[in-house]
Amino acid sequence: MQPKSIILAKDEIPRKWYNILADIKMNPPLGPDGNPISPDMLAPVFPMNLIEQEVSSERWIDIPEPVLDVLAIWRPAPLTRATAFEKALGTPAKIYYKNEGMSPPGSHKPNTAVPQAYYNKVFGIENITTETGAGQWGSALSFACSQYGLTCKVFMVRISFDQKPYRKAMMQAWGGTCIASPSTETKAGRDALERDPNTPGSLGIAISEAVEQAVGDTTGKTRYSLGSVLNHVMLHQTIIGLETKKQFDIAGDYPDIVIGCAGGGSNFAGLAFPFVLDKINGRQIEIYPVEPKACPSLTRAPLPTITGIRPDTPRFYPCTAWGTISCPRPFMPAACVTTAWRPRSANWPMKADHPAIGGPAGLLQSRRLVGADRRVHPGPGNHQCPGPGGGGSPKGQGRR
Amino acid sequence: MAPDALARRCPRLGGEVTFAYCRQSGEEKAPCFKIFDCWWERFDVVAHLESCLAPEVFAGLAARRPPPNKVASLVDLIRQAKERAAES
Repeated sequence: MQPKSIILAKDEIPRKWYNILADIKMNPPLGPDGNPISPDMLAPVFPMNLIEQEVSSERWIDIPEPVLDVLAIWRPAPLTRATAFEKALGTPAKIYYKNEGMSPPGSHKPNTAVPQAYYNKVFGIENITTETGAGQWGSALSFACSQYGLTCKVFMVRISFDQKPYRKAMMQAWGGTCIASPSTETKAGRDALERDPNTPGSLGIAISEAVEQAVGDTTGKTRYSLGSVLNHVMLHQTIIGLETKKQFDIAGDYPDIVIGCAGGGSNFAGLAFPFVLDKINGRQIEIYPVEPKACPSLTRAPLPTITGIRPDTPRFYPCTAWGTISCPRPFMPAACVTTAWRPRSANWPMKADHPAIGGPAGLLQSRRLVGADRRVHPGPGNHQCPGPGGGGSPKGQGRR
Repeated sequence: MAPDALARRCPRLGGEVTFAYCRQSGEEKAPCFKIFDCWWERFDVVAHLESCLAPEVFAGLAARRPPPNKVASLVDLIRQAKERAAES
């Protein structure tokens, strides 16, 4: 039997996170008033040690030992050769995937839930609130809080609360409190219920409830936690890519192409950012975020033909999307999701389930450090949509 | 089939929802900001919403830009939470 997985020893787990903000310049985010947001504006919801990470430009940040102790429950995660997939494709390529489904809650989310809970604990926080949709993030944070003796209150959107009772059970198993949102615990929730007692809730209401609970705790012992998009979330997730690089070293290989699922951006960032550092340093590698057709933040977005902000002929509808790429060809839905690569060796994460890709990942795409092409596996009836500028074939196309 | 009964996976929640949910899951029971992105492949959601929403509501939805970045959203939510706390 040929071993398929490359498994690092426990003592080979990375001991530092990689902070990409050391290598790319990002302007501070602007607040609703158009002025830069200062760290103290976030202090009501995040502990200052996490805010410092959010704005840090230090390239390598130590992973605290108590965080490593918890991560070691399931990390290092295996890098596995997808031999059956290679065979099914009939490709000579070597395809690897990084398995982030080994954590107790079953996703990559504890990679950041654990350090976030730890930094809150160190800062003297006793309670954490959050919102959750289907419950994956709520489960991860409940697990993480249980490791450091914090209470965790999760506002779960009512429609999902009713649909997914087992996710609620997971949170409860780790000591978390899962509350259907809107709830009567907050003014935001009560207002929503007053408007419609039978409302199925929404993510917006759930976030408002979680933030209100954190902000409204006059003891100062409660903070809020977010599982995607923010810089410190991406930072914590880089342990995925850092492990992967070590595993490729052991395999005596290096990927030509790295593909990561991108929703909220943290999974993609976690895998890709350490490879982006190599690319910045001159290494030849292609890096592509892939998003589900269901939530196209990158390859499709709010549609200008509807908004009327940019003129498009109906023939191109809806190719020109906000903040993404233009496609000077008639729109073909089937051609706009990146999939079915035949790389020599690629890393192929397994999950994607969040909206709105995060800032750094979007920035890297805009700077062409990661791919932004709409590509398809060539075949009858399909065509390719070139990236910005149009015209030429995407780089690396000849290998497919 | 009436659009309200159509169902699909919601990319924000991670579970199945009906079009009726999307139609009222935005702020103040307005349609979700992703409603065009999520439904245009299933039916003519633009024409449908244009026919059933008040013109100013549809115009507001259609003209809506992508939401502000997450940090800006959080700062706004903090402000709102402080205002609610001051009211109560």
